[in-house]
This record gives sequence, structure tokens and C-alpha cells, in this order.
Amino acid sequence: MMHSGNVRAPDLELATHYAREFYSRRQESHRLWIVPREAITELDDPDLLKPPFDRSFKRPGGYLIKHKLEAAKARAAEES
Amino acid sequence: MSTDASAEAFYAHVMGGGKVEADDPMPDDYRAAILKFVEMHANSELMGVLPERDWILRAPTLRRKLALTSKIQDEVGHAQLLYRVAEDLGKPREQMFADLLAGKTKFHNVFHYPTHSWGDVGIIAWLVDAAAIVSQQALRDSSYAPYARTMKKICWEESVHIMHGRDVVLTLMNGTSRQRAMVQEALNRWWGPLMQMHGPPTNPATDRDLIWKIKTKGNEQLRQEFLSIYVPRIWELGLTVPDPGLRHDHATGRWEYTEPDWDELRSVVTGHGPASQERLGFRRTNYDQTQWVRDAILGPAAAVA
Repeated sequence: MMHSGNVRAPDLELATHYAREFYSRRQESHRLWIVPREAITELDDPDLLKPPFDRSFKRPGGYLIKHKLEAAKARAAEES
Repeated sequence: MSTDASAEAFYAHVMGGGKVEADDPMPDDYRAAILKFVEMHANSELMGVLPERDWILRAPTLRRKLALTSKIQDEVGHAQLLYRVAEDLGKPREQMFADLLAGKTKFHNVFHYPTHSWGDVGIIAWLVDAAAIVSQQALRDSSYAPYARTMKKICWEESVHIMHGRDVVLTLMNGTSRQRAMVQEALNRWWGPLMQMHGPPTNPATDRDLIWKIKTKGNEQLRQEFLSIYVPRIWELGLTVPDPGLRHDHATGRWEYTEPDWDELRSVVTGHGPASQERLGFRRTNYDQTQWVRDAILGPAAAVA
């Protein structure tokens, strides 16, 4: 699911027609969800979305294993 | 779906690689099969956090504690996402919980075993999650589109867990001989359950989950993929896989191994594993103790409706 864009229309029925013309005229959409702008709740608080703490352990790049792996392999070779 | 003709058209659609959405008409057999599959997966994510939960307070450093807590939060999140997918197929969440707690529905074999050391935490996060991600990656092509989409997010997060687990294992392998032994002992404990995890080979001609593309790869294919990637990574650390029959047959390109104990698998997943009843007991107690939260949140809404 992705945000396709927005349309300006006097009511939901026309908004649906516009959305269909704009965003599925080349069969690029499986479904369209048309929602009035006032029904959208927005969260944009950076303290909640991007808190200023180190959270690198939540990402694959947060684990730097290259040197550990080399050391462990060298030790395995030494002992075999 | 009422007529045989429309069911036939449906199966032709999925067998030809077509996708199914939650509100599409679908035959009862397909609905039941996908629900059973997703519900078991959801149960496994939920029960799978219990062995790791025991180690939050015993994590060796603050960073490990944060990473482990975060992994557990991810797994509970996966359970939530999957129960949502299952709910849309028509089974209420309360019923899925009741069936899990009553032992009527299953969860993965690996979550029926106790943990003994921090080495187990590393092996679980590295290899249990690795075995899981092999099957989950294949599920991104499932014929049931809401499940396939959910699996994309889950796979991304599982890949972080594998890094966390591999980092734990590498740190121990670079440590003292006692720490290294801890990893080997954990591997010895988990290898049997890991080899059973994907299940016995099934006949592709009769495996409905495979025919209907609910899953896209057979059990044995998944196990072979797991062995291909991870056995060399285990060996390069100087660890020994506790199976004298394990070897790569260069002629066939396949991994040979000692037949896993399928009786143990059947016994464990039907609630007779060494930690099955303790884990279910914990869940029951936890469910009772959190009833007030559900009452507080759902009470007024239920009253309004």
C-alpha cells in the first residue's frame, strides 16, 4: 500500500471518480482507498518518530561483525 | 463460494500464481487452510518470546538488554500483525487465544524447549531465526496477498535478529574457553529441534498448502536452504554440528543428514515438550492477569456498540 496523491472534489463520489482517473487509468492499482482529509490523523512529533537515542541495535547495520568474524575464524584455524 | 465451477476457477487462479485478497470469495477449504497456517505462525511468534523473556534481566550488558528487549517487542508485534491477518479470515482473536491456551492449536516445536545459558540466547536468535526466515522469505510469494505483504516487514525485522544473534555468538566465540563451550553446548541442544523445525518432507502432489501456493517451497527444500547457508557459517567458527551423518554431497548438491526424530517433533508440538505446559501455564496466568486491561479498553467501546 502506498500514498498515491490527493484530489479536490465536492464529495466522496466525485473524489472516487477522480481518484480512479488519476491513479488507476493504466491498471496500476489493485485497490484505491479514498479518505476525506479531515479523517486523517497525523503524527509528526520528532520526539516520538525520531527519538534522539542510539537505537542502532534495531538495524542490521548496528552490528559490526567483520573483525569479530575474522578473529573467530583465525582462532578456529589455529585450534584445528 | 457455492458452485464447484467457481471453486475450480479459484484453484486455477491460485495455482497459476494468482493472488487472493481478504474480501475475495474463496472456497472453504482454502480459507480453512490459510487460517490454520497463519494462526499457527501467529501463535509461534507469541509463544516464541517466552524463552527469550527469561534472559532480559540476565543480559550481560545494557546494550544486549536493549537489543533483546527490542527483539522481543518485534516478535510480539509480528504476532499482532499475523492475528490481524487471521482475524480477517473469520476467526475472532479471542477464540484464537482460547484455543492456544487450551492446547487445541499449535506453535512451532522450537518454542517448547527450555533455555539454559546465554549461549542459548545467541543460538536461538541466530539459528532459530535463520531457519524461520528461510521459510518466511518464501512466504512473501504466498497466494494469500495480505499474508505475503505482512511477511515483507517481518522478514526485514528477522534479519536484524539474526545479526543480533550472530553478534552474540561471535562475541562468545572470541571469549574464554568457558564461553566457547557455552556456544557448543547450546548448539548441541538446539540442533535436533532445528532439524525438525521445517517438518518431515511432504509429497508435493498431495501437500495442499503447496499446491494452493499458501507456501511456495516444500519442507525439505527449506531445510536444504538452511543447511547450505548456515552449516558453513557454523563450521568456520570451529563449532561442531552434533550430527556425524551431516555432509554435503557434491554429486547431488544436497546435504545428507541423520534422519531427524519425527516422533519427538509430533510429541513436542502436541504439547508434550519439556517446556510446553510451563509456557502455556505462563500464558494462561498472564492472560488472566491482563484481563482488566482488555476490560478497560474494550469495555466502553463494546457498550457503545
